[in-house]
Amino acid sequence: MVTNNRVLNRAILYTLVTLTVVTTIFPFLVMLGTALKTNEEALSVSAGLWPKQITLEHFRDVLDPEKFPYWTYFKNSFITSYVTALLAVVIGTMGAYSFARLEYPGRGAFQKGVMLIYMFSGVLLLVPLYQMVTAAGLYDTKLALIITYLVITMPVSLYMLGNYFRTIPESLEEASMIDGLNRFQVIYKIVLPLSMPAIATVFIYVFMIAWNEYLFASVLITSEENMTLPIGLSRLFYTKHYVWGRMMAASLLTAIPVVLMFALVERYFRGGLTDGGEKG
Amino acid sequence: MIGENSMTKQKKSRFKAQEERLGYLLIAPAFLLIAVVILYPVVYNIWLSFHKVSLNPKRPDIFIAFENYTALLSDPKFWDSLQVTLIYTVITVAGATLVGLGAALLLNKAFKGRALARTVILLPYVAPVISLVFVWQYMFNPVYGIVNVTLVDKLGWLGERVDWLDSATPALILVIIFDIWRLFPFSFMMILAKIQSIDTSLYEAAEMDGAGGWRKFWHITLPELQFVIGSLVILRFIWNFYKFDEIYLLTKQVPVVSVYAYETAFTTFDHGLAAAITATLFVLVMVFVLTAVRKVLKW
Repeated sequence: MVTNNRVLNRAILYTLVTLTVVTTIFPFLVMLGTALKTNEEALSVSAGLWPKQITLEHFRDVLDPEKFPYWTYFKNSFITSYVTALLAVVIGTMGAYSFARLEYPGRGAFQKGVMLIYMFSGVLLLVPLYQMVTAAGLYDTKLALIITYLVITMPVSLYMLGNYFRTIPESLEEASMIDGLNRFQVIYKIVLPLSMPAIATVFIYVFMIAWNEYLFASVLITSEENMTLPIGLSRLFYTKHYVWGRMMAASLLTAIPVVLMFALVERYFRGGLTDGGEKG
Repeated sequence: MIGENSMTKQKKSRFKAQEERLGYLLIAPAFLLIAVVILYPVVYNIWLSFHKVSLNPKRPDIFIAFENYTALLSDPKFWDSLQVTLIYTVITVAGATLVGLGAALLLNKAFKGRALARTVILLPYVAPVISLVFVWQYMFNPVYGIVNVTLVDKLGWLGERVDWLDSATPALILVIIFDIWRLFPFSFMMILAKIQSIDTSLYEAAEMDGAGGWRKFWHITLPELQFVIGSLVILRFIWNFYKFDEIYLLTKQVPVVSVYAYETAFTTFDHGLAAAITATLFVLVMVFVLTAVRKVLKW
C-alpha cells in the first residue's frame, strides 16, 4: 500500500512537472518549428508543430543584408548593451562599495532612495526624457539609450553588488589596509577579484535589460541605422505581410544571445537577488 | 605595523573624514545619473503637465494651469483606461504570484532533471518581449493559430473562432495570460530561493508532532514566505500598473493608461496632456507605495 502510494505520488509529481515545463516552453517550440517551416505550411490549419520539410531559407533571408537589416540592428543592440553593461559595472561597483563598506551621514537615506526610484521608471519618464534628450541634442543617438538603461538598471546593480561585497570578510580588507594598501587598492586588488561572479552577473543582467528594452528605444530612436533589435523588428513586421517563418527566425536569433548569457550566470543571479551571496 | 591602540585620536578622525569623503565620491556618479535621469524628469514632468507644450523646441511652452488636468479628468477614455489597467494589474499580479508559488513548491521536490527544469522555466522571463510577442500573435491568430484550431476545431470547447488580437475582451484575456506566462518565472525564482533557505529542522520538528504536508505548508512555509511574496506583489503591482511594451506590441485593443499616455504623447503629440496623465499615475503610485510599502515591507 505504501509503495503504491509512493508510485502514485511520483506519477503525479512527474505529470505536474511535465505540464509546467511544457506550458512554459511551448511557445518556444512553436517559434523554432515555424522558423523551419515553408510559408505554405506556416499558414496551414492542419500543420503540426514540427515542419514536414525543414527549410533554412528564413534564417538565410534574415541574415542576408540585401534582404534584411538584421546585422545593423544587431550591431546597434550589441554596442548599446555592451557599453551600458560596462558602465553599469564600473559605476555600480563604486556605488555598491560605498554603500557596503564606507560610513557617512545620509548613507541609509541614499540606499532607500535608490530602491524607491525603481518604482518611478518606465512610462512615467517618457515625456520628460524625450523633451530633455531632444533639448540636449541627443535625440536618435545610442548615448541617449545608454544613459537611460544605465539608470533604470542602477538599483539592481547596486543591490546585487552590495549584497556580494558584504559577504567578503571585512577583516580581510582591514588587514590589507594595515599592510599599507589604501581603499582604492583594496577595492582593486582584493574586492574586485573576489567579486567576479557578482560582477559577471550584473554585467549580464544589464546587458539583457538593454538588449530587450522597447519603450525608450521606440521613443528616442528614429533612424533605421540607429535602431536596436526590438524596435527594428517591430517596425519591419508591423506591416502585415506575414512572413511568419522570417519573423520567428529573427525572434530566435534575437533571443539566443541573451538566453545563453543568462544561462551562464543563472545560479548567481538567483543568489544575488535574494539574501546575498550565492548558495550554488 | 600600526595597531589600533597606537593610532592617535587625530589620526582616527582624519581617517574617518577621509572615509566619508571617499564614500560620497564613490556614490556620486550613480547619484548624479539618477538625479538627471529620474529625479529631475519626475519634477520636470509635473512642470510640463501645467503647460501647453510646444512641439517646436524653440517656441516657449505656455502656462495653462490646470487645463490639462481638467481635460484629463473629464475624458471618459482616461477613466476607462484606468479601469482596464486595474483589472489587468490585479489579475496578472495574483496570477503570476500564485503560479510562481505553485511552480516553486513543485520544483522544490526531488526528481530527476530538476536542475534543468528550474533553468528552462526561466526562458520566458529572459527572452526579449519582441520575440515572444511575435510567436504569441502567431499562436493566437484567429484563422490558422494553434489556439483557435485546438479549442474550436479539435476539442470543440469554443463554438466559434475567437478574434484574440482585434476585439476588446479576448485581447484583454490574451495580454493577461501572456503576462502571467512571461512573469511567473520571476516569482518562481524569488520564492524558490526563499524556500531553499528555510531551516529544515522546522519541518523535522513539525513531523515529530505529526503535522502533515498541508499543515507544514500553512504553518511553516507560508509564514516564512510572507515577506518575499509581499515584496513581489507590491513591486509587480507597480510595474504592471505602468506596463506598456508587451501590451502595445501584442494588440491595439487593450487601452491601459500607459498606452493612453504613449498615444497622447506620440500619436496626437500633446505632450502637456501626456505629462498630466503620467503625473497622475505618479501620484496614484506614490499613495500606493507610501501605504503598502510601509505596511508590508516596513521601510
